[in-house]
Amino acid sequence: MATKTEQSTINEYSQSVLKYIRDRPRLRVLLLVGPTVGLLVAFVIVPVLIMLWYAFLTGLPPADYTLENFARIFDPLYLGIIWDTFLIATGTTIFTVALGYTLAYSMVRFSTKTTVLLLLVILPFWTNYIVRMYAWINILQADGVLNWALNSVGIVEGSQRFMFSHEAVLVGLIYVWLPLAVLPFYASIKTMDEDLIEAAKDLGAGPLKAFFTVTLPMTKNGIYAGLILVAVPAFGAFVTPALLGGTGSVMIGMVIDNQFNQAFNWNFGAALGVFLTLVVLASLLLAVLAGVEDKILKRPETEGET
Amino acid sequence: MNINTVIGPVERFLEDHGKRVGFLILLPLFLFLWLPIIVVAFMSFADSVLVFPPENFTLEFYHIFLDNSQAWSAIFTSLQVSLVATPIAVALAIMYSYAFSKYDFPGKGVITVLIAFPLVVPLIVVGIALTLLFGMFGGTGSYWEVVIAHVVRILPFAALIILPSFLSFDTTLEEASKDLGANSITTFRRVTLPNILPGVIAGGLLAFTMSFNEFVYTYFVRGTGMETLPVYLWGRIEHTMSPEINVISIVFLAVALLMVAVAVLITDVERIAIR
Repeated sequence: MATKTEQSTINEYSQSVLKYIRDRPRLRVLLLVGPTVGLLVAFVIVPVLIMLWYAFLTGLPPADYTLENFARIFDPLYLGIIWDTFLIATGTTIFTVALGYTLAYSMVRFSTKTTVLLLLVILPFWTNYIVRMYAWINILQADGVLNWALNSVGIVEGSQRFMFSHEAVLVGLIYVWLPLAVLPFYASIKTMDEDLIEAAKDLGAGPLKAFFTVTLPMTKNGIYAGLILVAVPAFGAFVTPALLGGTGSVMIGMVIDNQFNQAFNWNFGAALGVFLTLVVLASLLLAVLAGVEDKILKRPETEGET
Repeated sequence: MNINTVIGPVERFLEDHGKRVGFLILLPLFLFLWLPIIVVAFMSFADSVLVFPPENFTLEFYHIFLDNSQAWSAIFTSLQVSLVATPIAVALAIMYSYAFSKYDFPGKGVITVLIAFPLVVPLIVVGIALTLLFGMFGGTGSYWEVVIAHVVRILPFAALIILPSFLSFDTTLEEASKDLGANSITTFRRVTLPNILPGVIAGGLLAFTMSFNEFVYTYFVRGTGMETLPVYLWGRIEHTMSPEINVISIVFLAVALLMVAVAVLITDVERIAIR
């Protein structure tokens, strides 16, 4: 138990510490931001650099340096997988962005129960990823829901093979990332100034024209955000292709998992990780540059119109 | 001119039937989002998941789940990780957001990029990178390594939700409090915190949910020791199809429902949905 004098000494002490910190704004910022930055540097940046280092080694350190791991990526087997990954990830991104934007737009413009709908979008998003994939196994498997439904309507006869295909992986990935894409789209459409649409309509534009000339350009930042949020995980996916694609549709993330957990070739796994990171960062850079370019090109035109 | 003759009727149709068109768009999309989840819930009462429609309905697999000590230990492991990782991430996010909204400091832009970095690098890459780091220090997926992985994973999301509540907060209230003689800690506790609380709680709930659902980082980092519920689920799915897995899925669904319900009660939907 602290006595009264001890208590007041502690108070005085903490007061003087507070004053010391108050008089030093830089120290204050350091104390506030330092832990977050330290954590991210130590457990994101440093690990990624270590991964880069491993990618150039012949084995676990200490080991010799080599370019062998990167050369192996260009083996036709892996090139094929990389191409499939690219196709599936691009397809996922295009479909998810299109569907997500449609969904977000319809929610904002056509519905009065936006709050309820928003809830219905985030609940699947807050549900486990593996659970959502398992749901699709229930649907796509040989005697699953889809085959039953198609048979009862009479579209197909007998059990069709839906699992273990590119299409199954594509549907699974679109399903998983659709809610995540809807949110930035929703935010940008919701917060945009609706008077501009009214103005466009007053000036004679119909809903379609108003959409393409006003809404779409105004919500561009939201579209980029959604694009990035979907494209990054789609390129790196390994749970979905493992469960829905199996050997029928292998993606690069599955190969990385394999190298780590089955083949125990950490160096090749690291090289594939570096490669994947570079591909994703390059795609993002391209998207950003395309966006910037777009803005620069658009400017004289809009100035001409006003 | 030509294009207008085509678009014109479409435009008029949309003008007149906007509501109905909206419904026709929204219905299939929401079915797409919810049908798989409904199927999981439905099939958790089936006697076998291999054939749809199931022949018999039973609660047997709920009993099997309740008696499954491995599943329960995985749930407790998940809670042990998430209930520790979440407050750490939220505290860091609050400190960072406080500094970000109040001060200009060198490297602010770089730090913003740093925080977003885990979002623009695929999960599997940071997952294996963390494994390599811990492996170098002889780590075998101990408890704290898994917790650190979870904090790294959920911190950016917590920060992205909590930061706006600091930015939109009226700072003159803090100055008034200080003018009236309160020190910075009292001011933070009595003035700042109550104002940012809805954002903090929303951020915390999302962070907890993400941590409870987190699979990829845990899967790579855990070694042999730690089995969280998603990792357990993954192991089960690789081997069999069973209604019990659908029952476990219902646990995840219930947690998500509970978190969203609490979040909605405390703050508004927009805040938990939009970052």
